[in-house]
This record gives sequence, structure tokens and C-alpha cells, in this order.
Amino acid sequence: MPEWVWLWLAAALNLSGMAWLALAMDVHWDRVVCHRGPGRRFPPIVLRGLGAAALMLGLGVCLLADRPSMAVLVWLMLMSGAALLVALVLGHRPQWLALWSFGTPFNR
Amino acid sequence: MFQNLRQSMSWLHTWFGLVIGFVLMVVFFFGSLSVFDREIDRWALPQTRFDPQPMPSFDQVLLPALQRIEPDKADYQANMPAMHDPAKGPMTPRLALPPDEYWAYTTHRDPVLRTGVGFKVPLAKDPEAHNHIHGEATIDPRSGNTVRADQLKIGSEWFYPMHYSLNWQWKNLGVFLVGLAALVMLAALVSGVIIHRKVFREFFTFRPKKHTQRSALDLHNLCGVVALPFHFFFAFTGLVIFAAFYFFPVSQFQLKGLHERHEAVQAQETGLPHHAAGITAPLASVDAMVARAKQRWAERDMAGEVGFLVVHHVGDANSYVSVYRAGSDRVALVGEGMHFKGSTGELLHEDPPRSPVAEINEFLTGLHLQHFEHWLLRWLYVVGGLLGCVCIATGFIFFVEKRKRQHARAGSHGSRVVDSLAITTVTGMVIATLGMLTINRLLPDDLPGKGDWEIAGFFGLWALTMIHAWARSPAVALARLNPAWREQCWAIAILALNAVGLNAITTGDHLLKTIVTDTYWAVAGVDLSLLATAAIGAWAARRLARREHQHTDPRSLRDAQPNASAEVAHA
Repeated sequence: MPEWVWLWLAAALNLSGMAWLALAMDVHWDRVVCHRGPGRRFPPIVLRGLGAAALMLGLGVCLLADRPSMAVLVWLMLMSGAALLVALVLGHRPQWLALWSFGTPFNR
Repeated sequence: MFQNLRQSMSWLHTWFGLVIGFVLMVVFFFGSLSVFDREIDRWALPQTRFDPQPMPSFDQVLLPALQRIEPDKADYQANMPAMHDPAKGPMTPRLALPPDEYWAYTTHRDPVLRTGVGFKVPLAKDPEAHNHIHGEATIDPRSGNTVRADQLKIGSEWFYPMHYSLNWQWKNLGVFLVGLAALVMLAALVSGVIIHRKVFREFFTFRPKKHTQRSALDLHNLCGVVALPFHFFFAFTGLVIFAAFYFFPVSQFQLKGLHERHEAVQAQETGLPHHAAGITAPLASVDAMVARAKQRWAERDMAGEVGFLVVHHVGDANSYVSVYRAGSDRVALVGEGMHFKGSTGELLHEDPPRSPVAEINEFLTGLHLQHFEHWLLRWLYVVGGLLGCVCIATGFIFFVEKRKRQHARAGSHGSRVVDSLAITTVTGMVIATLGMLTINRLLPDDLPGKGDWEIAGFFGLWALTMIHAWARSPAVALARLNPAWREQCWAIAILALNAVGLNAITTGDHLLKTIVTDTYWAVAGVDLSLLATAAIGAWAARRLARREHQHTDPRSLRDAQPNASAEVAHA
């Protein structure tokens, strides 16, 4: 597969990883998803596990795209970019992260 | 003095960050631009807008071009008196200096390539020393024609040296100042982490709708933490690159004897003669040597292009030619040198695989200097660099916001001074950069000394932005927002749009052409970045106008009062 496919996939995985890690924190979950009472919410440990797994998978995909020395640099920088993007989205349009809360109903 | 470690680290971070922040702002901004320095060169020198070429034939193209290069007048006037021994005879005229070394350098991003000659000083005070007067030329590899020297390569010859030396060459003080700033930055980074122990909480915290003091600090923390590995590694690798330079005074005095013995030993071990023999000999076909080098690299499972080529002891029996492989496909730089006997073309020495220490050094250096061909990683580096700029700028803004009310009450002008300097260093610097590009398009291409005019315009505009920032700053002494921020943001938007328009008009390479019909990403990339800059400038100016309006409205002033406890409790 051409390199750019792997790199886009890696970017998507890193973004998802950061989004899940952010949603594992109560204050962020509450901004994205509005509670309608004592309902179900994803246990933070699951979200953190998903987030970590996505980031690790991102590293794996980076290694498929490039030689190891470059792949690690790409992965680290993609993580920074992903974290920045998630933070900015949380600040301005938190509802865009609803996808990563597995469609838990929200009203905004 | 301080209650605890956190308070003392906070003091250190604030004051060292503030002072060194002005230098680091320049370093980070021009560092970000330097990622695409060659592309900016293409934008500034329209006659070089063609595709990158591999190194051309030495025998057909480079040798005639090298033989036309003359010793640089300024270098001759400055350094000849120091090197020449008057007791041995009259000073050799500039044009009579014999060539001693030829070199040529190119990268995967360069259409044109740099070539140079080191001319020997025949009657030198210290015959053992290097004793070279230099001459350089940039040539079009397709024809061998030179690009005029006084046409400044704005990217690689202005923005890039600005990044590591502030373009301050006197006694190399610029390099030392940037080095000091990098060292202090490491301290600022560590103290920043100590202040914000709960670093993962800061990771995603950004409350843009809060008052400036809170949102500026949030953004400062966010940008600092999110790219912390980047910030740390770039400061550190920058210092690694210049490490030998900082020891320069020592290497020229205490270590000089050792250095010369090392060179003699190395010459013995490698079989590459350190001195010329004094017997003339012709130069064999260098193209054949290059072909042999490429063959050897392919045999060692690392086929590649030539990045750097040097002919030592030109015209002498001891002449040897060094051919180095370009590092476009990895993090490490040029390497795997092959050295051939000049007169016969026989392979004298192959550089052995690097030692672990050399390998680590090469990796760290290459990480920073990024010769590699990986466009995503390059753009991510730009993002990292700009995050550093935002981190420093929001640091300034937070500093002023936190203090301007108490300064206003006390009648002090401290906040006003810092705010004016911040405007000069943030928006003022961008205006100077955009202005330089604008002047580049306004002045005719064949104007003699065009580069000097562009440099004068750069500094002139920057000085003007400082005067403007100061003139509009009385508002800060009254605890209000300095209107210069908004006004300079508008100037950025207008200048950036102007630059794109001027490029289209003066060269005909408008965006429709460079993206669709006759794709040339180097110029399209610069134009698109300029458009993005204009958009951000305009958006920022409008946001600032709204905020200024809020501040003068008494009702919203009440709502916008920062919580006194916010600054202490921000972790």
C-alpha cells in the first residue's frame, strides 16, 4: 500500500487515541455528552485502555510506512498534533467528539 | 526567599522565560520557516523555479563553473592580511590566488546547487594552518550558469541563519546568544513541568471563552505540554549541533596542538594526504569516481544520490576526491564517504560504519536539520515550531495581563514596556518577514544589491512596528488592551494578501497555475501559507476588535474581572 495511506491511518488512530484519553476525564465527558440523569457512561478505564491501544496501533502503522528512526518521529509528532486538535475541538465545538463517545445521546 | 520549590520554579520560569523569550520567539519562528527555506528561495528567485535536480556531471558542468569562481572580495580584504606573511614577499593579488579545494552541495529539494572554491594563500604565516580564502557560486545544473550572488536567497540565506545566529556575525555573538537562549529554554521547560505537576490535566485544558488571563495561560500550558518532547528535543539537539562551536575558543588555543596531531594521525590511518605534495598532476574523470561510489553504495545495500563532493589539493599529485551520499531517505545526514585518488581515480578509502557515539550524534543532528524527504514530518515540524511560538507569545500576554491592573493602580509603566516589546516580537516580526517578501517582488530582479535593499526593508519595517507598538501603548498603562495588536494583525493580513498578488502579477505563477495547470508545489505552498497567514491575521484582528469593545463596556468589565485565586490554583 502506498505510504500516504498508512500515514493517514496513523493520523486517524492517533486522533482517536487522544480523543478517548480526553473523554476518560469526567470534565471533558460532561462537555461532550449531556447526562439525562444517572445513566450509563463508559467506565474511564475502558476509554483509557482504548486510547492507549489506538496510540500503540498508531505506532505500529507508522512503522509500516517508514524506517523505524523516522517512524518514531512521525508518531511522536502526530500525537502532539492530535492532542492539540482534540484540545481545540473540546474548547470550541465539543459536540464533534460525540463519535468517540460511541453515540451516547447528547443535547446541546 | 521562596516558600517551596514550586514558587522558586515559578519565579525562574517567569523571569528567565520573559527575558529569553524575546530571543526564542525569533529562533522558533524562523526555525519554522527554515523547514521550507529552499521553497521560499524559489518564491524569491523566480529564475530558479524548476524541478530539483540530482548532482550533474562534474567534468561537463561543475568543473568549468568552478574554474570561473573568483575569491570573494570581502573575505580577501578581511582575512588576507591575517594569513599572509609580509616577510616572505608581497601579498598575492586576489585574482592570482591558486585554487586548493573544490566543493559542490545539493539536496533533494534544490533545483540549483551551491558550489565553492577554497583558494590557498601561498606565502602564509603558518603553513600548517588551513589558510583559505573562499569563493562561492550558485549554479543552474542544467546549463552551468550562475545565479547572481547579490540576489539574496531569502529562505536559506536570511531566514535560516536568522534562526541559529540572529544574522549577527560580529565575533559570532549571535550563535552564542542563541546557544544561551537554548540552554535557558531547557531550564524554562523543566521549571514549567515542575510548576504544573498535574501535567496530563493540562493536556486538554483550554477554556477560550474565559477572560484573557485564564485563556492565555491555558493556551500557554497546552502548547507547552502537547509538544513537550518536540520543544525539549529541538533545544537539546540545537545545542548538540553547535557544541563544538561553543568550545571554539578552547579548540583554537588549549586544544590546537591536539587537533593538529589528530589530523596527522587520521591522514596516516586513512591514507588521505593531509598536505599537498607540491608536484602538479591532472585531475582524472570525477564522473567515473561518482559512478564507482554509487556502485559501492548499491553493493552495501544503500543505493543513493551524491549529496556532497569535495576535491582536495586541486591540481596536485596528492589530490583526492571525496564523494558523500545524500541523506534524503533517513534521519542521519550526508555520509558513507568514498575517497578517490585525484590523478588516477583509484579508490583510496571508504568511510567505515560509524561508531555508536558518532551514530547517536549523527541521528540527533539529522533530527534537527531534517535533510530527509518526508513531507508529512516536515509539516509536523512546522506545527511544532509554531506551537513553540504560540507558547512564548501567550507567555508574554499572560505576564502582562496578570500585572497590568496593579501596575495601572501604582502608576508603573512596566506592563506597557513588556507589552510593546511583545507586540514587536510577535506581530512585528511577522510584518517584517512579509514586508521583506513584498519588497522582493516590488524591486526589479536585476537591481544591483537587491539583497541589501531587502535586508534594509526587513529591519526598517521591524523598527517601525516597535515605534508603532510603543506609540499605541498608553492604553496598557490604563489596564486596557493595546490597539497595536489589532492594527498589526490587520497589517499582516494585508501584507500577506499583497505578497500573493504581487507574485501572481510579477511572475505569472498564480495559484491556479501552480496547483492545477503547471503544478509547482514549492511556490504554491508558499502562496497558500501566505493566504492562511492572511486569514488568521484577519480573524485575530476581528476577535481583538470585539474584545476591545467589551473592555470599554462597563457591564462586561465587571464580568471579566479575573479571580485573584485563579493564578495560584491553575494546576
